[in-house]
Amino acid sequence: MHDAEHPLDPGQTGTLRNGPALAAFLAAGIGSFAMGLILVLNETGIFAPPTIYGPAGGVSGRTTLAVVVWLVAWAILHFRWKDRQLEPGRVALSTFVLIAFGILATFPPAWALI
Amino acid sequence: MSLFSERSIWTMIHGMGLGGAALLALAAGLFALYLMRRGDTAAIGGTDASRPIALLTAFIAVMLWLTTFVGTYIVFPAYRVPPPEGAADLSLYPRYMLLADPSTAWLHAFAMETKEHLPFIAAILATAVAFVAWRYRRGLLANSQLRRIATAFLALCFAIVAWVSLLGVFVNKVAPLE
Repeated sequence: MHDAEHPLDPGQTGTLRNGPALAAFLAAGIGSFAMGLILVLNETGIFAPPTIYGPAGGVSGRTTLAVVVWLVAWAILHFRWKDRQLEPGRVALSTFVLIAFGILATFPPAWALI
Repeated sequence: MSLFSERSIWTMIHGMGLGGAALLALAAGLFALYLMRRGDTAAIGGTDASRPIALLTAFIAVMLWLTTFVGTYIVFPAYRVPPPEGAADLSLYPRYMLLADPSTAWLHAFAMETKEHLPFIAAILATAVAFVAWRYRRGLLANSQLRRIATAFLALCFAIVAWVSLLGVFVNKVAPLE
């Protein structure tokens, strides 16, 4: 790929559009959060996604739904931010808070606290 | 009689093959980003490292997704097959073997339950890093903020993969898929 196609290469383009990168990072945070939230909702009996593949059981539905949420969030954020330059600090903070929740919610001892 | 059953081979592909490759590549990716922390190429003799780093991150993401899918859709179904009614020997039914003994029940209730979902988060994070590395190439290495986020993502991936791998070893030591 030619360097001029890379939007963050200041030596080639003179522009610093970080929108697509931050969209990918924040969407990953949303996907992680979705994984944790879906699991918590399932464990508390509030919402159980349908099983996608019987032999694997409920995990197939839960993880598929989280992946769908991630991809949809990524597509929306990418479309909205693809030409924008954003402040990375707030996006990064939000991203890591979402990831932290997602990771903590996948630990079974956390379910007992709910 | 073959040395390994088909279930055992898939377990090895999942854990040692794909998961092991992902863990090694994650270590390499983290080290590469560490070398690039100043945004220059002096650390590697002036060559442009952006393409091999992009390839490495793509490899990490592919390995993590393959590990996760093989684990979820091939190994896990074999792990959770229920035994026939009245079966006394549970050695071919790892989930039920673990749950039958209070001293090993945690290996299902904690270890396997964690392994079911956490790897998907690692795969998602690695995919985001691979996308940014491919799209931005040298721009990622030159932008300290994005590089720090990418490095943190890979560090989280490494910690997650190491943790679930350890849990997998525990489960497989006590109740192997034979």
